Amino acid sequence: MNTRDKTYSAARMNEAMLSSMQPPTLRWYLLALVLGAVVAVGLYAFTVQLTTGMVVTGINRPVMWGLYIISFVFWVGLSHSGTMVSAILRLSQASWRRPILRGAEAMTVFSIAVAGLFPLIHLGRNWIFYYLIPYPSQYGLWPNFRSPLLFDMVAINTYIIGSGIFLYIGMLPDLALVRDRSTGWRRKIYGLLAIGWRGTAEQWRVFSRGSTLLACLIIPVAVSVHSIVAWDFAVTLVPGWHSTIFAPYFVIGAITSGVAAVITLMIVIRKAFKLEEFLLPLHFDNMSKLLLAVCLLWSYFYFAEVFTTWYGHKPIEWEWFSYMHDHYGLALFIMILGNTIVPIVGLCFRRVRRSTAALLGITLLVNVAMFIERFLIVVPSLSHKNIPFIWGSYTPSWVEMSIALAAFALFFLLYTLFTKFFPILAITDVREQEEALIGQQQLGRARVETLVNEE
Amino acid sequence: MEILGVFADLDEAARAVDDLLAIGIPETKITSLSSVPYPDGVLVREKHQPRFYLGSLAFGAVGALIGFSLAAGTAWLYPLQTGDKPIISIFPVGIITYELMMLFAIIGTLVGMFWCMGLPDFRPKPYAAEIAIGAIGILVQTEHPGEVEVARRAMQSSGAQRLCTEEDEE
Repeated sequence: MNTRDKTYSAARMNEAMLSSMQPPTLRWYLLALVLGAVVAVGLYAFTVQLTTGMVVTGINRPVMWGLYIISFVFWVGLSHSGTMVSAILRLSQASWRRPILRGAEAMTVFSIAVAGLFPLIHLGRNWIFYYLIPYPSQYGLWPNFRSPLLFDMVAINTYIIGSGIFLYIGMLPDLALVRDRSTGWRRKIYGLLAIGWRGTAEQWRVFSRGSTLLACLIIPVAVSVHSIVAWDFAVTLVPGWHSTIFAPYFVIGAITSGVAAVITLMIVIRKAFKLEEFLLPLHFDNMSKLLLAVCLLWSYFYFAEVFTTWYGHKPIEWEWFSYMHDHYGLALFIMILGNTIVPIVGLCFRRVRRSTAALLGITLLVNVAMFIERFLIVVPSLSHKNIPFIWGSYTPSWVEMSIALAAFALFFLLYTLFTKFFPILAITDVREQEEALIGQQQLGRARVETLVNEE
Repeated sequence: MEILGVFADLDEAARAVDDLLAIGIPETKITSLSSVPYPDGVLVREKHQPRFYLGSLAFGAVGALIGFSLAAGTAWLYPLQTGDKPIISIFPVGIITYELMMLFAIIGTLVGMFWCMGLPDFRPKPYAAEIAIGAIGILVQTEHPGEVEVARRAMQSSGAQRLCTEEDEE
């Protein structure tokens, strides 16, 4: 490839990968408006709860955790895979990771931010949420560090900040690239965000090593966050929760829903911004294999736990399991179908793994099933706890449903805004691989492309 | 003072580095600007190891200390006996200490990286927008105006498309 071709190619690749940052179309405004309207409905519902009290929710005795905590666990789970998958693929030097990184990392930041709202919404008397923060106040209040709920606050804040830093650092060279293409006030803003990046050899070296170190640090944080969420449940004596397998089971469940969500978003982004050139069937194939592996693991963990419960046949645990089976049989069936049967059977076939339509269906089903799984963890266990005379049931109110729905809208709204203002593909990462492919070497009678190792 | 030569091609830029070295400009004063990273030695060879991980370690240690002090220290200062449970409980203290250690280590990595990369830096410096589309910049840093002129001539003869200094940026 000669010099002119290369420059043209770099310019063309920048142009193509920044297609999401084109001025918004009418369709984009409509989408943002609809999502904004759903968020507004959620805000209204929250205002009703704020002014009336928790009585407007379906939460009751004994089911004191409802849709808010279900949503919280779901969103924390969803946040898992973005940064973690990105970090693992970076450490394992998987070249195919490059077009996926940014979208996955952004997904983590927005889903953990949405997740962080739910404990606050669930608190009741939300206006004094800051009592959770340890600071010397005139009331002499001090948070109880022995409470798993405080572990949550610390862990989630660590993960939000860590994921935000991971996303920002990865985006730094791309922000400089956008700065160089911008004019006027946009140039000033992107200039501020790029903080003077020029791409010197020293900067690249620190960037590369620092990103690897950050990846090493963020993986244990990601595992700890979902383990702590699992311990919110497992350290209680509630039947169905008090289990040693809960933390790893939650982590695997989180990775399953996260990987599925990354694939869903990849499909949408690819279609919406015409990124077929960069998000190739290979990427879907590899991500699907990953999803297949975690679905198998999740199924193994789930059936290991159910088998132990079934074999032990402890009266209260069997009561809980029978209640779930009798009252939520359809939900249980969808969960097994969506998390085990469909993905494991479907993703064994290469043709399915490379078909975006089939994958869209499977990954959406996985996350619907995973939401149901969160519901089945929370509600049946609390409905039939150890004391039979306070057994009950739970139906979410319109307020809870509106807020849960608004959370989905908020996530998609934030993601939509992100794609408009920031590069959704890791441009320099993709171009780095292209540069490596430019090299050619004589091998026998042919000149073949060489791929330089990253480090 | 800094002078930047912009080259359309990696090979030309590499030749320019050779020429600059040949006229006696030390490698410590030469660096490259590019929109993608190249392995060490393709253009210039880096002189010293970045030590930003020291920031991670130092911040991590501080975070662990803060976490331990918050969870164990305050429990010890204001003891609240609950049944036969210990005042300082190992698992909660461990979890809080671990999370704050990791949080501070991540922040320390960021601070260390910025320190080693010399960022943020909003001062006007020689830079060319063409670098974003694949051009390569070769930057010579020197205190002597005479060396700037020598470097300018060397890079021109090596095929630099254009040359710029800090004054041009202002």
